[in-house]
Amino acid sequence: MSGPALLFEHASYAYQGAALESLSDIELSVAEGEWIGVTGPTNAGKSTLCLLGMGLAPHFFGGRLKGRVTVFGRDSLAVGVVERSAEVGMLFQNPFTQVSGARDRVDEEVAFGPECHGIGRMEVAERVAEALALVGLEGLAARHPSDLSGGQLQRLALAGLLAMRPRLLLLDEPTSQLDPAGTAAIFDVLASLHGRGVTIVMVEHRLERLSENCRRVIAMVSGRLLADGPPEEVFNRLSVIERVGEPVYTGLARDAGLPQPWPVTLAGAVVAFGTRRA
Amino acid sequence: MAGGLSLYAEGESLLHRAHPLTKGALTVSAVALAFILPSWTWVLGLAFLLLALIVAAGVLRRLAAVAVVILGPITLLLLAVQGFANPANHTVAFALGPVVYYREGLAVAALAALRIGCLVGATFLFSFTTKPADITEALLQRGLSPRMGYVLLSALQIIPQTLEMATRIQDAQRARGLETEGSLLRRARAYMPLMLPLVLSSLVATEERAMALEVRGFGLAVARVSRIDFKDGLFQRTLRWGLLLLVPVAIVLRLARRW
Repeated sequence: MSGPALLFEHASYAYQGAALESLSDIELSVAEGEWIGVTGPTNAGKSTLCLLGMGLAPHFFGGRLKGRVTVFGRDSLAVGVVERSAEVGMLFQNPFTQVSGARDRVDEEVAFGPECHGIGRMEVAERVAEALALVGLEGLAARHPSDLSGGQLQRLALAGLLAMRPRLLLLDEPTSQLDPAGTAAIFDVLASLHGRGVTIVMVEHRLERLSENCRRVIAMVSGRLLADGPPEEVFNRLSVIERVGEPVYTGLARDAGLPQPWPVTLAGAVVAFGTRRA
Repeated sequence: MAGGLSLYAEGESLLHRAHPLTKGALTVSAVALAFILPSWTWVLGLAFLLLALIVAAGVLRRLAAVAVVILGPITLLLLAVQGFANPANHTVAFALGPVVYYREGLAVAALAALRIGCLVGATFLFSFTTKPADITEALLQRGLSPRMGYVLLSALQIIPQTLEMATRIQDAQRARGLETEGSLLRRARAYMPLMLPLVLSSLVATEERAMALEVRGFGLAVARVSRIDFKDGLFQRTLRWGLLLLVPVAIVLRLARRW
């Protein structure tokens, strides 16, 4: 391992023309292979955190960056977004705007990124097959992207990133527009990727999902880190729960008057409520 | 699979399989010749040639539906204006009281409608048998920059994509009780609640898509690997150049007053 995958050192960022900073003095280190969940209310700076990691801020948006953001040891200011796309991928909320619009078939859409990187046809075909299998869209390879549902389209967008074989994935509320089945499919894919050693930073509001999958959660409020740690620890702090929310199982346990530590996952809730009954 | 948001109609005809640039040359040449050729017989010959290609491509029914919608009103307007008001009118075709319709105007209108028919037929034949992505790819293989290629492709697809977005917005606004059908006044009232979200969502979508493209490495300065091997033998290359050469030859012949 060669240092952290993503490192924020006293990083503060304000968008162009904005008087206030969207992120203030962020100190964060994400190790290679980690899957961390990011949560917080609106305007907490979650999306900005991802944009800085990808380099879209400040390269695409302009604005002022103070401190330092480093991805795989390279300063974000020194590497452009397109160059960084070989090792970092970012998935956005809206599945409809992430397809290139330049391809007529699902498999051709997945090939778009590797082709932009000048990868040879044989390897592109190999990567496309692998990415489609990972997201479970291999049966829809010949379909037109516009014929897919929202959930399928989001998986297609993810496949498009996976075909680049990124080492770090930044996911900005990728399930916010998906139904429960689509959400479950995305989490299944991510669990598989995490098992392969891909580093994942995921902004998400489904806190029980995050707690079940991430061994580390950060809570943000008004551009600052409020908490950083295992979900069992973060969601047992009242100061976090009041400002960020809590997994549904935590709320049930609190409502039932269970003592701390409150559960954050279904398995934890079964144990906690079982103990109480006994 | 059929072409999603483009006009492309799936098919296996010779024209479907032809090189996109050959079809492009055919379209350019047919459109130009439709307006350069001097007489009825020549333009009618071109129209029959295009019709044969349309039938061979298996898109006659689809094209006929489009042609009726586009050509119907244009032809009626031409017939009315030319038949009644062409300055060269002098031979009466028929008269209804004081209203007189002339043969010269009828001939001019019919020829103009035939020329426009060739234009519509040639362009839609191209659109129905060629995927937008294939046109772009063919041009990229001829040295067009990827950014220009994407702009071209976006331009080719912008109408169907905008229509699709407009339909989504219209459905959403209807679900909230907006009445979009009925009298002209009612339709006019519905215009702003439809247009404003359409423009705003187009702007947002453009920014998001630009970011998504960068994230996938679009615009990276690397040697590009061709995506498709188009069949492009000596026959197609010769045909392409021959079709394009017809245009200056026709212009020269007309200028030389041979026609």
